[in-house]
Amino acid sequence: MSESGIRTPQAGEDRTPDDDVVDLLMRQHGDIRNLFDEVERSTGDARKEAFHRLVRLLAVHETAEEEVVHPVARRAFPGGEGIVEDRLAEERAAKETLSALDGMDTDDPRFLPQLLALRMDVQQHARAEERYEFTHLRRNADPGRLAAMAKGVKAAEAMAPTRPHPGVESGAANVALGPVAALVDRTKDAVRRAMEG
Amino acid sequence: MTFNPLEQRGIPLDRQLRNWRELDVEPLDPDHCDPYTRCRVITMNGIEVEAILFSHQLARHTLDSDIKRQLARTRYIEAQQQKVVNWLLPGTSSVLETTIAYEQVAVDLTAWVARMEPDPYLKQAYQFGVLEDFDHLYRYANLYEMIEHRKAEAIVDNLTEVMPGRPTKFHHRNPVDNVRDPYDRTRVDPLSKLHALTIMSSEQQTMNFYMNVGPTYMEPIARQLYQEIGLVEEEHVTHYESLVDQGESWWEQLVNHEYNECYLYHSFMEQESDPKVKAVWELHLNMELEHLHIACDLMRTLEGREPEEILAPQLPNVLTFEPNKAYLRELLDTQIDITTLGAGYVREAHERFEQMQAGIHGGEEPPSERVMAQHDEMFGREYRLQTEGEHPDPAQRES
Repeated sequence: MSESGIRTPQAGEDRTPDDDVVDLLMRQHGDIRNLFDEVERSTGDARKEAFHRLVRLLAVHETAEEEVVHPVARRAFPGGEGIVEDRLAEERAAKETLSALDGMDTDDPRFLPQLLALRMDVQQHARAEERYEFTHLRRNADPGRLAAMAKGVKAAEAMAPTRPHPGVESGAANVALGPVAALVDRTKDAVRRAMEG
Repeated sequence: MTFNPLEQRGIPLDRQLRNWRELDVEPLDPDHCDPYTRCRVITMNGIEVEAILFSHQLARHTLDSDIKRQLARTRYIEAQQQKVVNWLLPGTSSVLETTIAYEQVAVDLTAWVARMEPDPYLKQAYQFGVLEDFDHLYRYANLYEMIEHRKAEAIVDNLTEVMPGRPTKFHHRNPVDNVRDPYDRTRVDPLSKLHALTIMSSEQQTMNFYMNVGPTYMEPIARQLYQEIGLVEEEHVTHYESLVDQGESWWEQLVNHEYNECYLYHSFMEQESDPKVKAVWELHLNMELEHLHIACDLMRTLEGREPEEILAPQLPNVLTFEPNKAYLRELLDTQIDITTLGAGYVREAHERFEQMQAGIHGGEEPPSERVMAQHDEMFGREYRLQTEGEHPDPAQRES
């Protein structure tokens, strides 16, 4: 729980026009950190539920970046190819830690240390994107392109549950969403539809 | 307190050099470190930066090459100390996160000094300044939530409240009204000298930081806010540096600098919660003891004066990072609407103040107001962290 009692909405839920993909993704990086905080601070079923949301947000976020951002960055500036390769390597490493965690009981004593290691990796990856990839993207892509990309990322976001629904059994809600792999596939479809439309 | 730096010997200077492995310190965890550990790091970085810049200025006013070489030897070690201290900050923090930590330092360091300062005129200067840092924290916190969707409480924890202080738009005073009267070096409590040097160094580092990192932001409102608050930091450096008696000789100032470094490393070593960081404070204290002896010898040789003439007979009570919420609330209740006139303080918006305000604002809202409007557009509210109830000033309560 936060001391201020204020809840920061997730990207897409605030009132910005979201017409710049970099602004949007940077806010989503903050949303991911907020969810890590929530998982760390909760226990029992609340932790389980928060962790499921975190796994899904991470999956959707990374899928959106792979589908929307990295392909553009590869071509948009000299050296883009190498920078994207580095980011993909970080994403693969994070995914491995994540899948190990995903099968673990959130009350397992090994859970928290592994979660903290994942958090560190994810944060380093996010800052590397912001500094080495997004900066070039904003310099080399025109506003129309950045807006179109934002549309793709927003379509992906719609696939991730943003908060627990009051009165709904969280376990049931997550079962309804299915496994992460299926979520990734659905996210890819949603992004492609949005980018073509 | 029995610790007297003048009676202790530290590490000999020729054994203070560190290699790359020793300089390569492990940074703090931005999400789990003690916020006051980060505050101590930021404070000591400001102190070391001042030590380096002061020594360079002194060298530029020194004719004797042997003395310049002596200054260069100590200064190189101080440059290594600065690298170790500031490199404790993690690369995964954003500039804005570090900025919020700088403002937490400004609030809780200045508030503590104001509480402990024995001289009423100096105390007033700190009380006046802290309400402005307090407002900067609030403005940057709102910018932070806009750009990174994070709340400042993830950085300051609930140690420092985040809410309006004296509104930033009223900080822009005619520069002549930022110059205070100095203390008298022959009569002032030695503790007051340490306070003035500490706060001056800290604000100077904040000024340097904002003037350099401000333009790294792409968001127009972020660039503009750093410009506005960066200019207020210029006023704060003017305000605090003018408190120091300019009649102190260069060598006396050097001794005061080195003594203050001993005082602060000692203070922070006593209260540090992170064992790795505590080891840094302890090592640096043992280096500073030697720097102090070298400075005292220079003053003896060049001016024939004994350090005991200018320093406290023993180290004052440790300088402490701790919450100052009740004290700040009392100041918010009583001093939010004052400004400066000449070297004093007044309540009314006098003519020179109004002229400056008209000139700098040019009939528009400044960035510190626009950031709040843009935040409200985005979230339909503002960001505050009020752990002790509503704002003490009814005019500053949320509508």
